[in-house]
Formats: sequence, structure tokens, C-alpha cells
Amino acid sequence: MSQFTQQVILGLLLGGVYVAVALGFSLVWGILNIVNLAHGALVIVGSYITWDLFTRWHIDPFLSLPIDALVLFVIGYALQRGVINRVIRAPLLFTFLLTFGINLIIVSLLLLIFTADFRSVTPSYSGNGLHLGSVTIPYIRFGGLVVAFLLAGALWAILNRTRIGAAILAVGADRDAAQLVGIDLRHMYALTFGIGAAFAGVAGGIISTFQSITPTAGDPYTLQAFAVVILGGLGRVSATVLGGLTFGLIEILGQSAPGLGSGYANAIAFVVLVIVLVVRPRGLLGRLA
Amino acid sequence: MRREKLGVVLALTALLAAACGTSGGGTPTTGAAIVFGAAVSLTGAQSKEGGLTKQGYDLWLDWINQRGGIVVNGVKHPVEIKYEDDQSTPNLSATLVQKLITDEKAQFILGPYGSAATATDAIVAEKNGVPMVEANGAAQSIFSKGYKFTFGVLSPANKYLTGVLDMAATLSPKPTTIAMLTANDNFSVEVAKAVEDYAPTKGFQVIFTKQYPAAAPEVSGLISQAARLNPDIVMNSGHLAESIAINKGAKQLGLNAKIFAYSVGPSTPDFIKALGPDANYVFDGSQWTPQVKYKPSFYLSVGEYVKAYKTKYSTTDDPDYHVAESTAACLAFQKAIENAGSLDATKVRDALAGLDVMTFFGQIKFDSRGINTFKPMVVEQIQNGAHYTVFPANVANGKPQYPTPSWSSR
Amino acid sequence: MIAREERVPRSLRRFAVPIGIALLAYVILVPLTSTDTAQQAGLPLLADKLWFRIATTVAMFVVMASAWNIIGGLTGYASFGNVAFFGLGAYTVGVLVSSRSWPFPLALILAPVTASLFALIVGIPLLRLRGHYFAVATLGIGVAVGEVVNNLAPLGASTGLFLPIVRSDLLFFYLMLGAAAVAVLSTWLILRTRFGYGLLAIRENEEAAKIIGVNTNLYKVAAFCIAAALTGLAGGIFAQWNSFINQENVFAISDNVQMILMAVVGGAGTVLGPVAGAISLELIIQTLAGGGSKAVYSQIGLGVLLAVCVIFIPRGVIDFFGGQSRLSLQYLRQTLRETSA
Repeated sequence: MSQFTQQVILGLLLGGVYVAVALGFSLVWGILNIVNLAHGALVIVGSYITWDLFTRWHIDPFLSLPIDALVLFVIGYALQRGVINRVIRAPLLFTFLLTFGINLIIVSLLLLIFTADFRSVTPSYSGNGLHLGSVTIPYIRFGGLVVAFLLAGALWAILNRTRIGAAILAVGADRDAAQLVGIDLRHMYALTFGIGAAFAGVAGGIISTFQSITPTAGDPYTLQAFAVVILGGLGRVSATVLGGLTFGLIEILGQSAPGLGSGYANAIAFVVLVIVLVVRPRGLLGRLA
Repeated sequence: MRREKLGVVLALTALLAAACGTSGGGTPTTGAAIVFGAAVSLTGAQSKEGGLTKQGYDLWLDWINQRGGIVVNGVKHPVEIKYEDDQSTPNLSATLVQKLITDEKAQFILGPYGSAATATDAIVAEKNGVPMVEANGAAQSIFSKGYKFTFGVLSPANKYLTGVLDMAATLSPKPTTIAMLTANDNFSVEVAKAVEDYAPTKGFQVIFTKQYPAAAPEVSGLISQAARLNPDIVMNSGHLAESIAINKGAKQLGLNAKIFAYSVGPSTPDFIKALGPDANYVFDGSQWTPQVKYKPSFYLSVGEYVKAYKTKYSTTDDPDYHVAESTAACLAFQKAIENAGSLDATKVRDALAGLDVMTFFGQIKFDSRGINTFKPMVVEQIQNGAHYTVFPANVANGKPQYPTPSWSSR
Repeated sequence: MIAREERVPRSLRRFAVPIGIALLAYVILVPLTSTDTAQQAGLPLLADKLWFRIATTVAMFVVMASAWNIIGGLTGYASFGNVAFFGLGAYTVGVLVSSRSWPFPLALILAPVTASLFALIVGIPLLRLRGHYFAVATLGIGVAVGEVVNNLAPLGASTGLFLPIVRSDLLFFYLMLGAAAVAVLSTWLILRTRFGYGLLAIRENEEAAKIIGVNTNLYKVAAFCIAAALTGLAGGIFAQWNSFINQENVFAISDNVQMILMAVVGGAGTVLGPVAGAISLELIIQTLAGGGSKAVYSQIGLGVLLAVCVIFIPRGVIDFFGGQSRLSLQYLRQTLRETSA
């Protein structure tokens, strides 16, 4: 039983990481209708910033998260304003192609700057955990989960309690109407993408504490963000949280699924995703169209 | 039929080129450059390992050219290595090897990194009748297909962790139970399978064995499952990224074992940098270590090799075994070409098949399949942040620190 | 239809036909210079082994991009799981040839069958999904099938499958070229039938298509199965040509991304767009794949090139040079408007 509890806890902790990764992806997709294939690369840029600050000035990885957010916001804003805005009204597949190209460029630049060495952020407390009876909660992972919830709360507050958030939602709902009431569309697009990138950066900071970082380490996260957003349903913060936690649970519990080799963990995760889609095409918490 | 003819044409071209080189160069003892080709991963997921492979090749290239090249029948031929970047995708690798052979006129192929790319390249080499010596694809499946032109200088996958078991059998109190975590790629699965087959013969019991997807490894769930069973030995057959993640996870989740042994990872400097003191006590099965005491019949001694590496790449890190085995592939070619006294593909292939030579990397000799089954693997352990070779005793420079203390008492 | 063809610039048509014929003659005849008879007759060797390797790869991507175009471009269902069809085709041939010792031609016939059967099974539930949701569901299928194959012992699991080497460059090139021709002709034929107009109608407005009497479910599943059969055929040929298959080289999601890139860069929804896209992009990738320390820069170059393509010629290369995609659309929109209340 405690074995099962432990697995559930690990699943939720992993899910927290997926929540953090998927929030920005979901925002950009939901509001701008862009499936950002460079999302994973932006995540890893955040990881490298945290790693750099940690190795150079011994800044605690959790303290560097705001810096990740800031830097990535600037990068994201510039990318959208300077490049992606130019095809924002083109069909979905064009922004898809563009972000694929951007991903290639970012990954190559990371390779040039940081080389392909495996980087890792290991603060002194990284190996410790909270032991509750026979169940263990690693501090680092728990910190990641807390940050993920803070991010989700922050995004919810921005969208629902601020003027900027209202404007972003207006753009997402109806671009032309938003423009008619005097919203500067190009600025709002860039702002939205910037916020999405900032969230990616924070997620990257968390990831650097438990995983080795290489320039290509972000690619799987784009795939996972994709899956999480769909699993939960597009367009709601709570849906992304639910989707992320569920995906983490499925992945960990899939490893101990009876009767199957644990090599099937990925297969199980994606089969569940497909089944959810077929049964509930708008995701677990998705709004009906 | 047609292929043979192509070979003849190639050989003729080479001869012609050689003739031009000698007449134009002025020095009668210098022949045309011998062109080697290598498609290694310089970008993409395996760019780290691909980079190490290239380092190993380049190290030999500098040395041989300083000496004027490879001596073929009294004529010195300088050496050139043409590189292509396979972007870590095996399908591209095949085209690039063909490009190296056809366009860049590579006479010999040095292997890529990774078992899948090696399999793909081996087939291209075979179809072209061009010899390939590879140093970074240890999966044996490649060699069981009767290919005539592919040779591997490294010990095959099944030897990676069995050495650790041999060592563990000599320790007291003797550990008995093994938990095995395996990435589901062909190399790692072969490593694990060998352990599962070998363990019972040495009195060990594999009590937990699980695979995880090699592409996006998340191992915390598996570690916590293993922790419940309190295994004496925790083994990972996978890659650098997972070996780091497993070691971190073991500490976080209180998985205490007497031996932690990982197939790939601990031998690279990145492992110690990433984990700091937590890297201590970890064992790995290694193709080669800077501490081995082989007496080479040519090229550099082990000590000179390490020094040459540090000078060329201005680093304080020791070369890891990926570098050394890559250099060894070049040495195999050099010796085979010298022995053959010819640059003809088939003659060099035959010379490779009959090669038996001692190098800084160990003995290089191929069995009938083309695998170097004659060189032993060594076991190394990280002790106080440095690598020590601890087994087998005749090449060791340290004793195994055993048992590994529990995480809480370090 | 007549109106549409007249709107293609006359000057362009005058050049396009002879250029097309010349290109076709080139790819059909040049490989023959490598035969023993041609060489003995003293003809220059115009197609060496590298030429074959690249040309066969290009033809393979022509098949994949054209097949993707049938479901993604014509029908408007962006599939991210087509690579599963490629892999299934490859594994059909792989298993039958390596474990059951079937002759390759017999096994190859089954490759498209397996792939389209699978498309039928997953297509019926999945094609009810729209837009992004269909994209992700098919992505899930692509990943899941690859992972399952990688774990199944009878399929060689992670070791992959080795097939006996067949040393004929000509055979595989002509096979792949034939598959490419079939793919292009299929697209051309589809666009000239009621079926094709049904697909375009689905892409433009599925509800309206239903109203004008298109059996949308049947049409979509049929398009999906045709795409699968063509992709599976390419996979089957690849298996024997490459002689080694595993999850990494036949279920690569990056291949799926690549076929979409090719179709879209060339011009999705057109007959020749995917062909142009596959040829130009694959040749660029092969050229940029150059080696040495410049490898990183060529990756950056490819990224910049993609961005520039998307921003400056968003409707695809074919349209850029005077294609006809939009014209047929206009025609369609008009008819739809007229018929759908």
C-alpha cells in the first residue's frame, strides 16, 4: 500500500513539472492559436540560465527563477513582435513551421554557447527528502510542485484579475473585436508570447535541478506539453493543472502496471491520451465548443 | 560483378592519385593522402558523445601526420579524415557515409557513435566493399549478420557489467541481490541481458529488472520500487543522463545499496561535475581507463596518451573511454594498412581480420564476427572525486571501497 | 475546371511541360547509365551510388509528403501520425522477410495493406476529432505504436530487424520512383473526381459539406487509408533497401514533421506542391548536412531558411511560381456558398 502511495506521490511531483512546462504552452496556444514547437527550447534556455547563475555565483536555483522569467519574457516578447507576428493570421501549420525553424536556431545556438556537455544543478539539499513513515518526498521535486502551483495561481490571477489579462482574453476570444475597442494587437500578441516564454523559463529552472541539461533536452518537453494541454483541455488554467498532474501519474503508474514491461510507460501514456481525446474531445475539463 | 568493378576503379583512381602525388610532390618517399571518412553526431541528441568520438580520431590524426603518415611499402602516406555531421539521425548517417565514399573518396570508414547508426553505416560499408572500423557501437547484433567489412575495436555490450559481478564475487560480505534498471535501446538491453544470464552462475540473484523508455527517461518511480526490495547491487544499463538521474534519485528516495554500478556515465568527467561528492563509491564497467597498464607495441603509452589529450584539448580532465576507443579504431586501421602493405580495400579488410596487436587501449584482435572479444573490460570506481581502476587486479591502481555507506552516513 | 486551368499563366505552362518531361526523362534514364551494358558501351556514369542514395531518399519523401497531402492538405486533417504507417509498412516487410523468409515482392504487397488496415481501425474514432485535437491524437498514435514495437520481442524489440542485403541500387530507386509516381497520380486523380471535391469541401467547411450530401465520415476515412497505404508502401521499400530497421529509423516523429514541412513549404493541397517541397527541402538538407565544425551553422541556416520561407512565401513554392491551389478554392467556396443556403 505504501508502495502505491509512494508511486502516486512521485507521479504528482512529476506532474507538477509538466504543469509548469505546459502553462505557457497552453496560454500561447489558447490565445494566439500558435502551437509553439520552440517551447521546449525556451524551457532549456531557462535551465541554462539557472545553471549558469548556480555555477558562476552559487545562486540557489529557486532564487534564480525570477531571473529566468525576466530574461525569457524579453526573448519571447522580441520573438513574437519581430518574427511570429508576421504570420499570425496564416493557417496553423505556418506558425507551426516557423516555430520549428526557431527551435532549430535556438538549439543550435545553445550548442554553440554551452557545448553538448551534460550540465547539472546540484544544490547541497538536492539529495534530501522528507520521510513520512515509509514514504519519501524529495525536497527538490516538492519545491518544483510548489512553484508549479504558484505559476498556475499567478497565471490565473493575471488573466482574471488584471486589465492586461482581460485584454489578453479579449484577444483570444475575438481579435477583430479586441482591435475595435482599441487594444494594440501586436503588443498584446507579443505580451502573451512573452508571458508564455517566461513561464517556460521558470519550468526550465526547476527542471535543471533534477535532470541533466543538454541543448536538445527540451524536445521531449514540447511533446509532453502538447499532450498535457490536450489531456486537460485548452483554454483554462485549472485544466492544464489537472492535465499535467494526470499525465505525471499515468507515466509513473504506467511503470508499475501489472502484466506489462515498464518499457511501455510512454506507450501507455500516449494511448491514454488518445482514448481521452476520443471519449472527451475537448479534454478532461475542456469547455464544450 | 559491378561492385567488384567499382572497387577496381576506386583502386585505380587511388593508384593514379598516388602516382600524381609522387611525381608532383618532388619527394619520392611521400605518397598521396589516405582519406578516412567519418559520419559522427556533431549536433542533435548525441552531439556530446559524437564530439568525444571526433576527439579520439583527431588525436591519432595529429600524431600520424607528425610522423609523415602511414607507411605503405616504404612510402609514407599522410592522412586526412573527412567528417560529416549525421545530426544524431541514423538515416542521414547512411547517406553521409555514401557521400564520404563516393564524393569525398574516403578509402576507409571510421564508425559513428551509437549502435543504430553503426548498424546503418555497416550496411552501407558492406554494400560498397569499404572497410569500416567502429569504436562506439557495442551491440553485438550488428556483428551476427555475416558482414565482412565491419570491425569493432571495443569489447561487446555483454561484457559491460559482467566485470562488476566478477569483482563483487570477490568482496566480503558478498552481495547477493541485484536490481537492474535498463534503457530500452538495443545496446542497453544487451548489457542487461548478459547480466541476467551471468548473475546466477556467480551466485547472484536478480530480484528486480525493469526497462524504461530511452527517449524520455523518468526513473524516480522505478527507483522507489527498487528501494522497497533493498537490493545489494543497483545496476543501470543506460546512458549518462540516466546514470546521473538514478544516482540523484537513489539519494532522494533512500535507495541504499552496497554497490552502485552503471554501464555508461560515471567514466565521463560530467558525471563527477554534476554530482559532486555524491558521485563517490559509484562503479562502472569501462572499456578503458587512464590507469590501465598495457604495454603497447606502437603508438603512445597510456601515460603519453593522457598527456597528449590534455595538451591538445587544453583541459585538466582525463580522456574518457569514448575518446580512447575511437583512437584505437584508427590504430587498428593503421596497423592493418601497414600489414597489408597496400591500400586495396579487400587486402586491408583481410589484414584487419588477421590483426593481433597490443595498444594503449589493450589488445586489438577480432573474432570471426569482427568483434574484439580479446580485450577485457575494467571496473573503475569514483573515490574522493577521482577515478580509480579497481578490477581486474593486474591492471588496477586502487582497491574497491566496499560496501558503499548509506546516504545518511556519508 | 476549365476556368481554373485557363488561369494558370500561359507562359508558365509553356515552360512547365517541357521542363517536367525533361526532369522525368532525367530521373528515368540517368540511372540506366550505371548498368553493366551501358558502362561497357562506354557511356559516362551519370548516377553513382551517392546519386542513388540521395535520389531514392528524395523519392521516398515525395511519397510521404504526397501521402500526407491527401489527408493533411486536401482534407485539412493535419496528421502527426503518418510515420506510424511508414513504420508499420517497414515492419511488415521486415518481419516477413527476416523471420518468415518471405520473398521481398510478396511481403511488399502486404506493407500498404497492413498500414491502411491500421488507418481504418484508428481512423474511424480519430477522424471525428478536429484541428489540433486530431493532430495530437495522431501524434499519440505515432509515439505509442513506435514504443510498442520497440518492446515486442517477435519484432526484434529494441535490437531492430536486419534484412538480407540486396545489392541493387536500380531496383530500389525505381521502386521508390514508382511509389512516388503512384502517389502523385493518386493525388491528381483524386482531385479530378467527386471524391476529391468532397475532400476539399470537408477542408473548407465540414458542416456545409455534409449538407450538400458529402458522406464526410466515409470520405475522411478513405483519404486516411489511401495516405496510409502510400506511406506504408514507402516504408516497406525502405526496410529492404536499408536492410536495418528499428524504432529510431522508421518511427521517428522528426520524419513526420519533415513530411509536413515538405508538403506545406511546397504548397499543401496541390498536386505538385509536395513534390517540389520534398525535392527542394531534402536536397537542401543533404547539402547543408556538410560536416566538420560548421555543422552547427548549417542547422542555424536551415532554421533561418524555414522562417524566411514561411514569412515570405506563405502559400508554398508552387503557388509562388504560379500554382493553382487558391483558384480551386475560390471555385469551391463559391459553389459551397451557392449550395449551402
